Amino acid sequence: MLDQPAKSLTDCDRVEMCRLMVLSRCFTKQALTWHAEGRVPQGLHPSVGQEAVGVGACYGLRAGDWVLPSLRTSEAFWTRGVTIRQQLHAMCGTAESISGGKETSHHSGYPELGILAGTGIVGGSIPVATGVAMGLRMQGTDHVMVCFFGDGAANRGDFHEALNLAAVLKAPAIFVCENNLYAQTVPASVAMTITDIDDRAAGYGMVGQIVDGQDVEAVHDATQTAVARARCGEGPTLLECKTYRFMPHYPVFDEDRPQEERDRWLARDPIQILANRLQLSGLLDEAAIDQMAQAVRDELDSAIAQVEAAAMPDPEQVFTNIYAIKSERMTS
Amino acid sequence: MRELRGNQALCEALAQEMANDPRVFVIGEDVAAHGGVYRVTENLLEQFGPDRVIDSPICESALVGAGVGAALVGMRPVVEIQFTDLITIAMDQIVNSAAKARYVHDGAMHVPMVVRTLNLGKGSVYASQALEAWFTHVPGLKVVMPTDPHDAKGLLLSAIRDPDPVIFFESKALYAMRGPVPSESYTVPFDKANVCREGSDATVVSWGSTVPMAEEAADRLTAEGVSIEVIALRALVPFDRQTVVESVCKTGRLVVVHEAVRRGGFGAEVVASIADSDAFEHLRAPIMRVANPGVPVPHSAALHKFALPSVDDLVAAIRRTMSYD
Repeated sequence: MLDQPAKSLTDCDRVEMCRLMVLSRCFTKQALTWHAEGRVPQGLHPSVGQEAVGVGACYGLRAGDWVLPSLRTSEAFWTRGVTIRQQLHAMCGTAESISGGKETSHHSGYPELGILAGTGIVGGSIPVATGVAMGLRMQGTDHVMVCFFGDGAANRGDFHEALNLAAVLKAPAIFVCENNLYAQTVPASVAMTITDIDDRAAGYGMVGQIVDGQDVEAVHDATQTAVARARCGEGPTLLECKTYRFMPHYPVFDEDRPQEERDRWLARDPIQILANRLQLSGLLDEAAIDQMAQAVRDELDSAIAQVEAAAMPDPEQVFTNIYAIKSERMTS
Repeated sequence: MRELRGNQALCEALAQEMANDPRVFVIGEDVAAHGGVYRVTENLLEQFGPDRVIDSPICESALVGAGVGAALVGMRPVVEIQFTDLITIAMDQIVNSAAKARYVHDGAMHVPMVVRTLNLGKGSVYASQALEAWFTHVPGLKVVMPTDPHDAKGLLLSAIRDPDPVIFFESKALYAMRGPVPSESYTVPFDKANVCREGSDATVVSWGSTVPMAEEAADRLTAEGVSIEVIALRALVPFDRQTVVESVCKTGRLVVVHEAVRRGGFGAEVVASIADSDAFEHLRAPIMRVANPGVPVPHSAALHKFALPSVDDLVAAIRRTMSYD
């Protein structure tokens, strides 16, 4: 546990990180409700309970840095500046969706904000992240790539191949493993014989670190240390953020997890942990946090109205951007 | 004109484009210090250094995935997968990461990557698979199959400059083939098939390593007074359907020959392109396919000849199609 504020963060930063976590949680809960009501066609893989990881890791990245979110890392989008309205457009598949209606919100990219679209293949983005980092280094920049994935992905062959390759190439990549203890319904304890995925870093000669994934300042600190190392050519880092998914993998999953485990983790709500600290520092009170949530709800209400009124994509969108040049010869 | 072997022509293409474009780099197993198992990357390390000619661990999936990532941020990777059989390990990265990136980013990002790979043709069950058809089934990929040294160089230069991912199938037969190759840099477009022989009685469509077989069959039948048009596809995606359709409209007969398994092979697509085109009513005989009958390619020479198409098979198929009037 971090007793002192992270050294790189101002009070304003800490309040902003709190706001981003509140934003993410409010959005997720509202979007799931709208999805259940049939108002938003796409569901979400809820990150509730894990908000500190994406916010802490992405906060303070620079323009020119890239992130590759997992399907659950909503926070990467918010922290890099994607708006509520943009993600609702993506979820509803409107013409204004960043992908033109081609993909869901969680597999969308926002290149101007340094966000690449991850594929729907768990762990499939890890090699891509290695390549982005390799490319950034070849171009002589000091930009970095931050790649998110879960404990489930850490058992994929791609994890091994990509981390080994990144280590060999000294690629400026930060591999952020969100170990939330479950791959869908399968406990990590069933899927691996070790407790700490961080152990694997040593196998690649890579710096690894276990991080309290419920503490946004700890995540931020660890990431910034790894980023600094990557920027000056010292290679990649594996950060294992210990966290917990407060909700099922996907709302339709009926998950049966030990009550004791649930209680223990629910007592470590990442928003509450930071909010308590900010309250002790006199930076925020409960009313201010309520105001943050209310502001998000207001924005959600106005955004959904706009999105529901938005045009749907032209059918032509099906056929565009498969190749650089659209031609019948390429699609027939 | 100066003659080169296919592997030398490919190497020259790589060297010229690396000199021309600092974004181009080569990565793969044994490509740097060793110069490539078949010398396709010979001396590139000496010319361009270890930052651009990279020996990788054995990690086909990460290799292609890393190529995708580097391409997304503006590099021009040429990834070598040493044998086609090994590309199976990289299928997720090819099918999901490379092929879909432009689409899901709605054109804001793209993957100008070449994946070069080699089919030995025979020798081992695990070094002889012709898998090109798999990739033609995936929107977003281009599939290129050079036949001779001239095309190998020009097509590889086109592939490296192409804004989309290209799967580039080389063969051991190509590496060994000698042919005229201009010394300057030049490109050969994917979408124009090569009409190697003009003829009027039957059309033979082929690609890659079976094209010389088609030419030999045509030569044999010419001696018997049968005029064969031989079309070598340079790419399967994009497929130059028009050249094939026009040829079949003229000849009324079609035989397709390829090394890959007949069932679900790209030959079926070529046949279908005639079945659903105007050429259909010009057909004078059933369409024939000469291909692997649906078996792994066994090691023993006594066996592998039954797995791979031969000139005799092709000549027999053409004679069969000629027996219809």
